[in-house]
Amino acid sequence: MEKLQQGKASRPATRAVGRTGHRFGEKLTAYLFILPSVFLIAVFGLFPIGYAFYMSLFRWRIRKGGYIGFEHYSDLVGSWGAALAFAVGLAALLVAHWLWTSAFSREGLRRWGRFIVALVLTAAGVAIALGWSTMMREGSEEFLASLVRTLFYALGTIPVQIALALVLATLLFQKIRGKEGFRMIYFLPYVTPQVAAAVVFAQLFSPRGSSLAPGSLSPANQVLAFLGIEPQRWLFEPRPLLELLFGEQITAFNGWLASLGVAWQLDGLWLGPSLALVSIIIFGVWTYTGLNVVIFLAGLGGIPGELYEAAEIDGANSRQKFWSITVPLLSPVTYYLTLLGFIGSLQAFSQLYVMRTPFARDTVDTASILIFDTFYKASNFSLAAAQSFLLFFVILFVTITQQRVMGKQVFYG
Amino acid sequence: MASARRPTDWGTVGYRLRYVPVYLLLLFGAVVAVTPFFYMVSTSLMTLGEALTRTWVPQSPQWSNYVRAWNQAEFAQYFMNSVIITGTTIAGLLVTSTLAAYAFARIEFPARDLIFTMLLATLMIPETVTFIPQFLIIRGDIFPLPGGSWINTLQALTVPFMANAVSIFLLRQFFARIPFDLWDAARMDGAGHLRFLVSVVVPMSKPVMLTVTLLAFITSWNAFLWPILVTTNPTWRPLMVGLYNFMGVAGPETHLLMAGAMITILPVLVLYFVAQKQFTEGIATSGLKG
Repeated sequence: MEKLQQGKASRPATRAVGRTGHRFGEKLTAYLFILPSVFLIAVFGLFPIGYAFYMSLFRWRIRKGGYIGFEHYSDLVGSWGAALAFAVGLAALLVAHWLWTSAFSREGLRRWGRFIVALVLTAAGVAIALGWSTMMREGSEEFLASLVRTLFYALGTIPVQIALALVLATLLFQKIRGKEGFRMIYFLPYVTPQVAAAVVFAQLFSPRGSSLAPGSLSPANQVLAFLGIEPQRWLFEPRPLLELLFGEQITAFNGWLASLGVAWQLDGLWLGPSLALVSIIIFGVWTYTGLNVVIFLAGLGGIPGELYEAAEIDGANSRQKFWSITVPLLSPVTYYLTLLGFIGSLQAFSQLYVMRTPFARDTVDTASILIFDTFYKASNFSLAAAQSFLLFFVILFVTITQQRVMGKQVFYG
Repeated sequence: MASARRPTDWGTVGYRLRYVPVYLLLLFGAVVAVTPFFYMVSTSLMTLGEALTRTWVPQSPQWSNYVRAWNQAEFAQYFMNSVIITGTTIAGLLVTSTLAAYAFARIEFPARDLIFTMLLATLMIPETVTFIPQFLIIRGDIFPLPGGSWINTLQALTVPFMANAVSIFLLRQFFARIPFDLWDAARMDGAGHLRFLVSVVVPMSKPVMLTVTLLAFITSWNAFLWPILVTTNPTWRPLMVGLYNFMGVAGPETHLLMAGAMITILPVLVLYFVAQKQFTEGIATSGLKG
């Protein structure tokens, strides 16, 4: 600390001593020092993002073809009007949230506010539903479905891994013997190479032991057998988890809808992720929960002990302390982990690529997988570039939404 | 008071019983975290018959499975490839990042903050957007490369990763806290920035250098999408792609596949147990998913 102060104090003197010639030499040195990094990041980081957009405007299969403008984009979303309605609907959701949390927070405007927010929400819902169904009908169902599966993966992994990590970190933060050992073990899944871990999980979650030994069960199915549940096809299963759990009820419900003359049926993507995708979600939770535990532990270390002591004096129990002190004061960490987690999971690739099987068909094809296949297998470079740009916009939207919605709930003590 | 209270608390049966569910939950989490490793190691030491029938523990360990995986599935070459690729990438990254971080932290020059901000902005760019143009760059389609196309070369697997904003950011944070009187003393001795950096700053910065190295190691060792694109033959194929390909050809020989996975994981585990504190604290401090 004293050294730092001393250093700061002497800095102006150093600057004053500098001569014009010396300053120029320093600038040249600085630019030479940053040149390798900036050059590499510019060439492989910044330039490619602009060039990807440029590529998406041409017909480009291995070699560059003719200019087609935004044809790839219109092929993907189908109808610009529908895409606009969908986007406006999403924006309206944000507006409704802002109205509810800000503009109408005062008591006098509450009654009118409720009515107006309800109106905005209804309009948003209609716009989103109409926009989406039109895009699915007229655009690339393959690509749009992959976006939905990407959201399934993100929404399936992030909340679970953060909730688990928060509980484990809170338990671990107490005076626990073997704390370091537990922390080391929890972190193990994260440091393990993801492809190798996915190869192992592909065995754990296969449908059966082996085609050469029909009677054997995979480890996941052995766990199910222990719980009295029939074996499942896990990574090979394209049917939605909800259908496996409530198939009869869903069939009855759809029959009831049909009897009422309703054209819509509860099927397809409405039933959520396939069991194959759920298996990969389980892998995602396994991989990242430990990382979150470590970071939450660091956050817990920053909460003043006096708060807990004061709460204990007031007679608060463990649960009350958890919800009143731990959760609010960890909200910056939670927000940060959620933000990073979503950005990462929306782009997840390796585990899905390794763990997908032909039997699951396209039910584990997230946007990243589809983009890769479009590029690598179909050799449609420009279409892949257009798809990647739309995914980029989705990631941006999700990031902005989180900042808007969660950012206000973050409590900085 | 506190010291007197502690033995009493721990002596109370009721107080100790409070921790039973805590330990049970923590142990359950630990078992879940470790089970896949147990399965991998156990299966890797089985005979073919044991692997097929999904027993949990081999009767006697078959260490020859590792020899077979190493030799027959080309893991020897993949391993050496990954070692060379990772070593080269880390060496290049440490040089470029150290120089850049030092300049950003210690020297005032025009547009410094603007350039730094733009570098940080690249953290938001998804790999899925950039890998397509990057592939064309590596193929030499966009502008000429020294030696023509870099497909199936070491430079394709290393050069694009020899600079990243994360490393520069971490090093810059640390370099900014080095006292200025050290710089004054070095200048009195006639040292320039480069000598000061090499002789004083770097030796003082071993903890952050280790963190940057670990993060770079994890990223490079784990590289998968990019090597699939730029390697079409085994010459420079890294371990992860080799293991993935082996998954396709191993068929029922799960024991060999698990031995291959273990070969892939072992260097990281060794590094982790040797530098465990640096792993957890470095990554927790940076908060970055490497």
